[in-house]
Amino acid sequence: MAHQVALTVRARITPGRLAQLKNELAIVNADIEHNELVPFARLGRVHFARFVILDEPVAAAGGVAPQGDDQFAPSLVFASNVDAPLSDYLDELMSVAADGLDRIFSNCEGYPAPGQLTNEARADYLMARGIKTQAFYVNTIGRMVTQVKDEARLREAIEDFLERQPAATLATWPASRVGSAIQEFVRGEQSLVWAQAQARGLAFWWRVKEWTRFILVILILLALLPLFIVLLPFFIVLLRYHEKKDARGGNFRLSSMARGQLENFEDQVVQNQISAVGHIKPGWFRGFTVRALLMGLSFSVRHVYNSGDLGTVKPLGLVGVNTIHFAQWIMIDGGRRMLFLSNYDGSLGSYMDDFVNKVAWGLNAVFSNGASYPKTDWLFLHGAHDEQGFKAFLQKHQIPTQAWYTAYKQSTALNLTNNAKLRAGLFDTLSEEGRADWLRKL
Amino acid sequence: MSTLDLKDIQGIFVRGYGELEAGCYMLLHIRDATPARDWLGRVAALITDGEQKPETRALNLAFTCEGLTALGLDAETLATFSHEFQDGMASEYRRRILGDHGESAPENWAWGGPTTTPVHVLLMIFAVNEDERSEFCKSLSDGFASGGVEQVGEVLRSIVLRDVSGCSKEHFGFCDSIAQPFIEGLGKTGPPPNTVKAGEFVLGYRNEYNLLTERPLVKAERDPHSILPPAEESAGDHDLGRDGTYLVFRQLQQHVNRFWQFMEDSTRDAGGGSHPDARIRLASKMVGRWPSGAPLILSPDGDNAALGKENDFAYYEADPHGLKCPIGSHIRRSNPRDTLDPHPGTEKSTDVNKRHQLLRRGRAYGEPVAASMKPEDILREEVPGDRGLHFICLNANISRQFEFVQQTWVNNPKFNGLYNDSDPLIGDRDALGPGQAAIFTEQAEPVRRRATRLPQFVSVRGGAYFFLPGLNAIRYLASI
Repeated sequence: MAHQVALTVRARITPGRLAQLKNELAIVNADIEHNELVPFARLGRVHFARFVILDEPVAAAGGVAPQGDDQFAPSLVFASNVDAPLSDYLDELMSVAADGLDRIFSNCEGYPAPGQLTNEARADYLMARGIKTQAFYVNTIGRMVTQVKDEARLREAIEDFLERQPAATLATWPASRVGSAIQEFVRGEQSLVWAQAQARGLAFWWRVKEWTRFILVILILLALLPLFIVLLPFFIVLLRYHEKKDARGGNFRLSSMARGQLENFEDQVVQNQISAVGHIKPGWFRGFTVRALLMGLSFSVRHVYNSGDLGTVKPLGLVGVNTIHFAQWIMIDGGRRMLFLSNYDGSLGSYMDDFVNKVAWGLNAVFSNGASYPKTDWLFLHGAHDEQGFKAFLQKHQIPTQAWYTAYKQSTALNLTNNAKLRAGLFDTLSEEGRADWLRKL
Repeated sequence: MSTLDLKDIQGIFVRGYGELEAGCYMLLHIRDATPARDWLGRVAALITDGEQKPETRALNLAFTCEGLTALGLDAETLATFSHEFQDGMASEYRRRILGDHGESAPENWAWGGPTTTPVHVLLMIFAVNEDERSEFCKSLSDGFASGGVEQVGEVLRSIVLRDVSGCSKEHFGFCDSIAQPFIEGLGKTGPPPNTVKAGEFVLGYRNEYNLLTERPLVKAERDPHSILPPAEESAGDHDLGRDGTYLVFRQLQQHVNRFWQFMEDSTRDAGGGSHPDARIRLASKMVGRWPSGAPLILSPDGDNAALGKENDFAYYEADPHGLKCPIGSHIRRSNPRDTLDPHPGTEKSTDVNKRHQLLRRGRAYGEPVAASMKPEDILREEVPGDRGLHFICLNANISRQFEFVQQTWVNNPKFNGLYNDSDPLIGDRDALGPGQAAIFTEQAEPVRRRATRLPQFVSVRGGAYFFLPGLNAIRYLASI
């Protein structure tokens, strides 16, 4: 089993080629799984992928608000969340979509000339333009696309099996007997042989490496603790100074948002995407704070929030969000802006409600360093609690995702977690109580 | 907390006029703005406010976004209305999230869709009896021609289906409209999990975030006679939204025979024999209440009319797994109470639930299939005709309230960890692709039971988003 990695490529669009590029991306998006350019369904390692155009000139974008005073040249972002190793993904991409990549990236600066197009040249081009993700949230580290698909199939097979049993008979059986009948059924199914074994865990050496890293970071933090304690008052004074200086939100109104164009891309399947880009507030302090926070976020999503939840802090009674599949926080343009990409379940409205109702503190800490965020206090307070002000902030910075792929468009993250538990407990030796509990997952 | 200005709020916010049993809705189209504004000024005098307790007649009035445009409201002010309201119920995106396709597609609607005359104004008319109602309607419609407005389609007549206990039923035969939020500052207060801040249902007051919901505003210079009050927290603006709210209207056709035939077919034994009790039980599992209104959570094994009006209950502690009241049943998903994160079973859960409440004001329409409303009589014959519910709800934020409930709870096959279950009663069966959200899971021991291939029991025949202005705002609109 492999962990997940993000490949994010950003390439400048050749002047005059934007329209052509958008045409190609529209072809991709029209049939995201099987289009002739990048037929994502044939790329077995991809969980989610997207093409986004940054800094599309306003006129062409149909009235989407400009992203700040700076003028940035239009660029194309190609982001993939895939099963490691990355090299295997690149190989897959080259064998399935080399021509399609040519058609897309030939509209970008520096793409190899037709005579020099080898798979190596293509991969080099992508890797050379790879940008670093400061924080990468993976719902469940180690759950590969193949596992997701297999486990969904297993659950459906069991549900169908139960459907074929007379309900009146089942109702009279104890849980253990229902469990045995299901086990027997799975044993008899050639296509489900794999389900008799547990999912393979992450590679031993990989886990050792992660644990070592975790412990090392903790030790370093402990060693630096006295320094932090000394510096904390200075940080707080600076923070309060900056917070007091902040304007009282951008006063955006949701009603005036250009939502139409973005809505066209939303709520087509169970999950949704959001791409958003915004400026970091000027000055070293906010730049420093956001980088420090993203380091902390990166550490916590890698070592703590790596199995189905983001943001639960039990001792503080904080409940996190269990509807996000993958999310990336990316500093771009030398730290002047942040790009946020997320793949989540349900509507944008419910996603934002979750932010406001459950993890406002976390949102505040990171995004309050962004220009025009609703005013925060003490880094964690207020901010996103200004419900409509926050929603307007997020939507003001949202940009259209020209093409978006999900490998399991019928499943929520909760479904995936449940499927995994169903498989994990299928052949376990369980008490009557334990088997009854397991059956509730159906 | 500022006191509710009931003299300025339209009466339908305060009461459903239950004692005025003869009701109807008239949909109007504005042909000519100038006489229409004069007409509006005349009608304003007839509108029932929240303080009155009408004994013979009541009238309330609302506008669509097109209606405000047709009346001559300026574009700058129109742009301050919520995006949902401006976009409209039948837009490409909203029909997708509301599940309005196939037989529910706006193209097939009797009103409010792209193929019928645009609806501009909604008149809600209530009277103590039929004679009073028709007289009231006539006196109103006599003023239409000179007022530059004309009626769109038929008058939508509602009926009240009372059962012996006095509850009002919907056409499937279940007592309806039991769970209503208590509104803070309005009459009696209820238990805290069910007492909601007024700003959730009327604009200009604090909502459940202790904030003012975005509301339509006019620049002060556009209101030279200061008909409207200055807008709180928005200097230089006058408050067009204050004491108004958004009104969602959907005409939901109920396929009564289809509904009970499905229950009948799903509960027949191997020999083909009928089981009337199992039939009612399955339907009640889908609803979450028995026909009398008794909640399954309190009365899991059978109906109990004594509990018919009961609304003070929670789910999590009594039934965390849905063995009594299924997780995906209609009432547990359209108002999950304390079921969902964060911290199910606590105030933290109900606090979030309170941000997604609707104040329902709908009524049934059409003759019932059988006067008794009993399934055995309904199953005896197929009575043609259109019948269902004129679903009306008030909410300050269409997107966070009505649309959220419809999309994230009712139509969501993934609600609370489920897979392929849209709301068994009113959900969209195609929410995951054709027929992919047509399962009803009934949690049970040792293992769940399922009803599969649920047909569409309800389809949409018309609908629109309206703005229900306060009385001052109506006078302002008549003055522009």
